[in-house]
Amino acid sequence: MKKNLSRIITTIVLIVLSIYFLYPTYKDYTLNKELSKLSGQDSLEFVDKNNQELISARDKRLKLGLDLKGGMYVVLDVDIVKLLQDMSRKKDEQLTGILAEVKEISKTSDELILETFKIKLKEKGQSLKNYYGEIRDSEADIEANLTKEIDNSLDRAVEIVRNRVDQYGVAEPQIQKIGNSRIIVELPGVSNPEEVRKLLEGTALLEFKLVYDPQKAVKVFEAINKVLVGDTSLTVDSLTSTKIPDDSLKTRNESLTSKDTTKNTSASNKDSLSKNKNTTSLNIKDSLKDKKIASNKDKKDKKDTSKNKNDTAKDSDTSLVETDTSEESDTSAAQLTEEEFKAKYPFFTLVQLNQEAGTADGYVKDSDKDKVQRILNNEDIKAIIPTDLVFAWSNKTFDAEGEKIHVLYTVKKDAEMTGKVVTDARSNIDPTNNTPIVSMEMDSEGSSDWARITGANINKRIAIVLDDVVYSAPVVRSKITGGNSQIEGMANVQEAKLLEIVLKAGALPAPVQIIEERSIGPSLGEDSIRSGILSSIASLVLIGLFMIYYYKFGGTVADVALIINMLFILGVMASLKATLTLPGIAGLILSIGMSVDTNVLIFERIREEIRSGKPLKTAIELGYKKAFSAIIDSHLTTIITAIILYQFGSGPIQGFAITLIFGLLANLFTAIVITHYVFDIMVEKGKNISFG
Amino acid sequence: MRIFEKTNYDFLGKRKMFYLISLGIIVIGFVVLLTTKSIPLGIDFSGGTELQVQFEKDIDISVLRDAIDDQGFTGMEIKTMGSEKDILMRTPLQDEGSLVADKIIESIKSKIPDNKFQVLRSDKVGPKIGAELRRNAIFAILFSLVAILIYLSFRFQFIFAVASVIALFHDVMITIAIVAIANVVFPGLRVEFNQSMLAAFLTLVGFSSNDTVVVFDRIRENIKLFKNENILDVMNKSINATLSRTIITNGTVFVTVVVLFIFGGEVNRSFAFTFGIGILTGTYSSVFVASAIVVDWKHRALELLKDKASNRSKISTPKVKKVNA
Repeated sequence: MKKNLSRIITTIVLIVLSIYFLYPTYKDYTLNKELSKLSGQDSLEFVDKNNQELISARDKRLKLGLDLKGGMYVVLDVDIVKLLQDMSRKKDEQLTGILAEVKEISKTSDELILETFKIKLKEKGQSLKNYYGEIRDSEADIEANLTKEIDNSLDRAVEIVRNRVDQYGVAEPQIQKIGNSRIIVELPGVSNPEEVRKLLEGTALLEFKLVYDPQKAVKVFEAINKVLVGDTSLTVDSLTSTKIPDDSLKTRNESLTSKDTTKNTSASNKDSLSKNKNTTSLNIKDSLKDKKIASNKDKKDKKDTSKNKNDTAKDSDTSLVETDTSEESDTSAAQLTEEEFKAKYPFFTLVQLNQEAGTADGYVKDSDKDKVQRILNNEDIKAIIPTDLVFAWSNKTFDAEGEKIHVLYTVKKDAEMTGKVVTDARSNIDPTNNTPIVSMEMDSEGSSDWARITGANINKRIAIVLDDVVYSAPVVRSKITGGNSQIEGMANVQEAKLLEIVLKAGALPAPVQIIEERSIGPSLGEDSIRSGILSSIASLVLIGLFMIYYYKFGGTVADVALIINMLFILGVMASLKATLTLPGIAGLILSIGMSVDTNVLIFERIREEIRSGKPLKTAIELGYKKAFSAIIDSHLTTIITAIILYQFGSGPIQGFAITLIFGLLANLFTAIVITHYVFDIMVEKGKNISFG
Repeated sequence: MRIFEKTNYDFLGKRKMFYLISLGIIVIGFVVLLTTKSIPLGIDFSGGTELQVQFEKDIDISVLRDAIDDQGFTGMEIKTMGSEKDILMRTPLQDEGSLVADKIIESIKSKIPDNKFQVLRSDKVGPKIGAELRRNAIFAILFSLVAILIYLSFRFQFIFAVASVIALFHDVMITIAIVAIANVVFPGLRVEFNQSMLAAFLTLVGFSSNDTVVVFDRIRENIKLFKNENILDVMNKSINATLSRTIITNGTVFVTVVVLFIFGGEVNRSFAFTFGIGILTGTYSSVFVASAIVVDWKHRALELLKDKASNRSKISTPKVKKVNA
């Protein structure tokens, strides 16, 4: 009985877990069904109201492959031939000719492109040295260097692609690096190949843009707020969040310094920087080692002051950089409740400013991002935004109060210069204080422009913008001549590495080409899933009825086991965030087949034992025992096969293998634990079980 | 209800005939395949561009072909799928940047303006990817056969493991052969080598090995139980004992696949057809290939033993002869 108890508990726990993991899928389905009934304004309101739920359900639901729900699947290859062309010192006809040949060969050959290139060069009596590297470099050095550049180009391409896909606004895009030159991009629900092609294959644009004057930018924010308050159709009264995480808003003061300044000056720079931080901003989170955050005020305090400052800003239209916070305004802010604040300053509820930092960077919660973007795209709002100002989002987010926070920058529309002048970028650790830095080099033409720009904008910020997304907005500390700049203030090495990748995208765009593209129209996806599911259900019902007819009570138990089995498989898949694809359904069908087989094997054995005159209890015991070796062998054979398929197969094969593995494991469990237990209990209670 | 209970068929007595039948089907099928190329390589494996569109009204293929030929895509494969509205177009061409599909869509739009259409699916696969998929698929299947061989040789006598792998190989070959023939006999079927065909092959290998293992399991058990009986009789007995299970399991799964074939939509059709054939051959091969090979092997071993014994017996005592009577 003790053994039985643990069986019951395991079974119930597993069933509950499966239902728990599948519930978001159901929720997602019902929410979307409701949503599809609404249109226009209603649907927007519905999205606003159920934002949290929609997002979490979408995140946790059972994912369907592109072949089932429509979308685009694109495989990109880094165009190494083009990269070699771009990197060469001189671009003569012979090189172009050789590269054209290499390209032709690479279309079908698996040989590394660099190898093919070397062979072709040799055939023409040339060597890498004639086109790449410095005079002193040896052939091997140059080759190693080229190999490294080729490897790096993939990272760059991935970052560029990720950046663009994020901007394109696809739900659940998948971007995967495969091997050393390939990127797989999956865009569910997208069915415009032309647009996606442009998006993915276009050359990346790196720009340096001045950050808009914070005082003026804040005025623009206020103007937007006014429009929102005045125009009721735009108000956002259905905010679900109640707490404003302004106390946790953090900025990082990244700064731009000249690399060749002496250590003394750079040290003093840093000193002044940290001093700055201590005086001007309380909430700066910085990784600079020597920086001490003076956050002696408690949370509530900070919240009040910052809110209160928003407050004064709106009422009196005075400059926000003013830092005096008088007692009176403090109390007045305290009187303003959360609700009132929301009603009065809808825009500042969504986009929070951190006045103490002296910047006009807006902080936007992930769940509010779409809403803010909608507001910014509104025609009425657009009309009041100065023509030389554009809004740009940060590439990354940081976490505050369990929510991702985006930064909304205001930058000048026209770039000061493009990233084409960047010749190299390298992330490093500053040995003096062990903090990550990125150094950037420019060509001579760029250097003189850069000196002029930095000289004219000391203590202002210049945003590094890749394809309209801000990766960093360091403060210019001094005029940078000579073209060697150093960016400091990154939170960690990864961030520095990312900035290096981005800066290099200006120097050497990583050209990519589409080598595989599949787009499945949503209607076809819907068709295939509907007919696939309908026919699967139909055949399941058929099998179920047959089992009951043929094995009577035994069949009924087997049917229940089959349903639990399906529940397990789908539950496990949902919990592991695996994707259900068409080959996956094939795997499911095979699992169902084997589940039926398992029960048939057992029941046939039991029948045999009953026929040979054994009592029911013994017959069941023996039936299970004798069928076991066949069940375990057939399952293990298939599981081993499935593991191998998963290991060696490509995408679709893996989808098949994964459902099959889960299916067979669930099957072993239901057959050996659940059904056996049900029969045991029935026999114990003296019930007569019919196996037909 | 009971079916096939207490049967006593002599399955293995006529095994030589079934070897010939299998061999015949494979030979005929591959001759058909090689001469008529009746199973086309889908673009998944060959590379190319494929477009599936749905028109609002019925469309005449020749009109469509004229429209596309104008763009220089002559010799394109164009066919209907199910109705005169659903059209599948395919070409081995795949331009850089996958522009082929766009150009085709544009030319249809401009040449046939009065019949609107929507693109249901558009695929472009580069030749390198195609070759890679092909290689991966072959590797995956071969490796899994080896893995099955290794596992089964631990669990059964080695000859059983070898026999079941041969049976699996046989199933793949027979299925290819039958699909090749069926494509010629029923031109409407159009099963091709693509990813869903691959899924079908994987499924059938899994299912067929399952079936073989179940039969072998009973043989393994009965060999211990009836130590003194002829191996042929033991195996026949075992196959008969598992017959009802074989029929019920494979029958129900076969019905599932038939349902999928009829109602599962165009996408699932080639999968269902291939797997359906696979179930039949998988069931057949457990008995007439896997078990038959084991019988022949054991007989050969016995004969060798006998030869040795009789050689020896010429010198010593002629007693051994009675053992196998």
